[in-house]
Amino acid sequence: MSSIREKGYHHWDGQFLDRPRAFWPIARTGIKLAFGRKHFKLGYTFSFLPAMIYAAIIYISERLEDFKFIAQGGDKLLQVNPNFFKSYLTLDLLYFAILILMSIGAAGLLADDFRHKAVQLYFARPLTKADYLLGKAGVVIFFVGTLTLVPAILLYILKLLFAGSFAFFLEYPWLILSILAFSLFIVLFFTAFILLASSLSNNRNYVISIIFGFYLFSEILRGIFFVIFRSPFSALFSIAANLKQVAAGFFLVKPPYDYPWYLSFLLISVFCFLSYLVVKHKVRGVEVIK
Amino acid sequence: MKPEIQRVFSFYFFLKKKSSRSKMFFLLSSASILLALIIRFYQLAGQWTESGQIIFQNILMVFFLQFLIVILALFYGTSIVSEEVEGKTLPYLSSRPLSRASIIIGKYLSSLAVTSIMLVSTLLISYFILNLDRDFQLQDIWTIVRYALVLLLGLAAYLSFFTFLSTWLARPILLGLVFGFGWENVIQYFPGTTQKLSIVHYLKSLLPQYSSASGRLSFLFIRLEPTADWLAVLILVLISVVFLALAALLFTFKEYLVQD
Amino acid sequence: MTAVIEARNLSRWYGNVLGISDLNLEINQGITALLGPNGAGKSTFMKIITGQLKTNIGEARIFGEKVWNNRHIFRRLGFCPEDDAFYEELSGFEFLAGLLSLYGFSSLECEQKARQALDLVELTDVADRKVRSYSRGMRQRIKIAQAIAHDPEVLILDEPLNGLDPLSKRRIIKLIKEFKNSGKTIVVSSHILPEVEALTSEIILIHQGKIIARGDIYFIRDLIDTHPHMIRVKSPQFRQLAQTLAGEDYVLKMAFEPLEQAVVFETHDRDRFFNRLNEMVLTSPIIIDEITSPDDNLQAVFDYLVGK
Repeated sequence: MSSIREKGYHHWDGQFLDRPRAFWPIARTGIKLAFGRKHFKLGYTFSFLPAMIYAAIIYISERLEDFKFIAQGGDKLLQVNPNFFKSYLTLDLLYFAILILMSIGAAGLLADDFRHKAVQLYFARPLTKADYLLGKAGVVIFFVGTLTLVPAILLYILKLLFAGSFAFFLEYPWLILSILAFSLFIVLFFTAFILLASSLSNNRNYVISIIFGFYLFSEILRGIFFVIFRSPFSALFSIAANLKQVAAGFFLVKPPYDYPWYLSFLLISVFCFLSYLVVKHKVRGVEVIK
Repeated sequence: MKPEIQRVFSFYFFLKKKSSRSKMFFLLSSASILLALIIRFYQLAGQWTESGQIIFQNILMVFFLQFLIVILALFYGTSIVSEEVEGKTLPYLSSRPLSRASIIIGKYLSSLAVTSIMLVSTLLISYFILNLDRDFQLQDIWTIVRYALVLLLGLAAYLSFFTFLSTWLARPILLGLVFGFGWENVIQYFPGTTQKLSIVHYLKSLLPQYSSASGRLSFLFIRLEPTADWLAVLILVLISVVFLALAALLFTFKEYLVQD
Repeated sequence: MTAVIEARNLSRWYGNVLGISDLNLEINQGITALLGPNGAGKSTFMKIITGQLKTNIGEARIFGEKVWNNRHIFRRLGFCPEDDAFYEELSGFEFLAGLLSLYGFSSLECEQKARQALDLVELTDVADRKVRSYSRGMRQRIKIAQAIAHDPEVLILDEPLNGLDPLSKRRIIKLIKEFKNSGKTIVVSSHILPEVEALTSEIILIHQGKIIARGDIYFIRDLIDTHPHMIRVKSPQFRQLAQTLAGEDYVLKMAFEPLEQAVVFETHDRDRFFNRLNEMVLTSPIIIDEITSPDDNLQAVFDYLVGK
């Protein structure tokens, strides 16, 4: 005789079939919901503005003769080289846009599930914790990826197209890998950061405060420690500064701060790992999760 | 209306004291104490020759003025109405014999009280850490009282503005962020009267290190065209009163629908 | 005598969606149940009479006074909202005492009233636990407690029996009836029909923002002339019974249930039907085991009225 169950949701204790993309419905729904939020579409559109400006710069740089009248003294600015792509991927404006967008569309990824006690709905189905977290991460990966990796790749392709030759590729054959690697690094960082913030509360407003508070506080700390210690290592306190330092390492350019770039890389990697542990623990903390 | 405001204040002060979020924000405020300790140890190791007073004025005040009061006011102010609406607890308030204006004013005052305690306690402790070896004179006490009062004025003004946003918008925190950390920072670079379109301008006008920025730390400060002390205080008080009054008025006549 | 709760030409829109439409009603002392499916307009009406929402047209009054922005009314009114929402970090006692303090009661009064209310809803044992740790049923009971703690004259209860186990439901139903007996006016909204039937016979049926019927359930049923009454009779001689009654003009239809040895009659004159049945029991050898009215309940009445 089968056991008598009380009403309510129970953790799935049946078989887990081998379904390679079990996370995808969660990610897809999260993306749809984000687009459904007020002002998100507008914010998302505006976030492509830096990419469009950089695309215009590439165009102008290939048509310098035609734009001589505005290019006077500006040819340094219009040099399309690894530093150009690095500067796009480390724009403060871009990071701010990502944070705003994620605040609108992704702050509630875990927070809303905790608030509405919806986690048990997920795990009453044949879904592993990895699928759940990957599904949620998928939302951030999608949006951050479309604002970093996709435009950066498109800018690279645009450069090749407008130049009309592969000279640029031959000059910097590793550049495309740098773009890919660093974009993935940013995506990984922001995914960890946003999910960590979302896991710390069931109130979306509080999560947004955490996201911006932490980001801005890191900048303030950098400023304060620099004034006190006059040391380049004060940049280790700042999220943006660390990302810029890592970018310099990936793009093989001179780092903005006078310390090894791999320290920043290590710091951010440790942060991502710790975030993962915290998020995993937080999701574990809800009842019914085995 | 005064007894109603008092009742709302008492209830929410008690609630906020117990809230885990208040504990987190208190921890954040305590970062100033940690910074003060680090600076102090660095000083004692002979690495820093600036006086504690200068360090406090020019470094820690940046943390308090441009970060802490804004983030405290932002979270507490924007939550005043939105937490009740999103949390669906508004019926508990609106079905009580309280005027709607007293609800807003009472909640505002309770938020101001809690954040003031966080601010003043950490301010005093970090100040004393940096100035432990000095003989305290009246001048020093007046300095810390002045800083505390200026920051409290700023907190009241920001809190009032964000409370207004909370009564007006369904999602006030994003606009609050853009204002608090965007507008307030950017507008300071503008010369002339445009600077006066920010709360931080009046706060800086009341602090001596901003009005007469010179020396090795002057690079920290944007060119300020200060407003007279009395006018700056008046405007800050006016901002606090006007936006609170607008918030109370709006809340009195607006209805709030819960949206999931 | 003015009614306790009055609504005149009450209409309310949410954008293009009609919440309630030209509602006119008066509610007096006793228990009145608002019944209707989701989206019927019950919660909209309750939110209007508890000051959560404004009306677009018309007005709502309690004790002859307008409700919106009239805080004095709320001293005499208690509201139990439908949503499962609390100040989660407070204990049950703190939650009640805190909300009571908003009425201006002294600390001692708040404490006494809070304990009384907790006692009434049987949550005394868990009074010092955080509301966050309460079960669904406890949360519902603490919500009812906050509505009754200040001893209001009018109680508005939006789905008060949600989430309660059968025993708790019976206790709350008993409590509500006790309030009624002490002269209070109670408005209960629900879509759980058997519970409404157990609570009161004074029912207002709402559908698509309009009142479609009001009164005693049997009175409402009798109004439905277009729909015949169904009466099911169980008897070992069910075919003989059917044969006898088939000739009566008030018997419109018959359906057999051979396995149950029963016949379901449809009639537009219940009184004559029952009189004839009684005659047959006395004068003929037909034995009747059971008589029921399959459609003589709220669900059937409602289905008829909304045209199902």
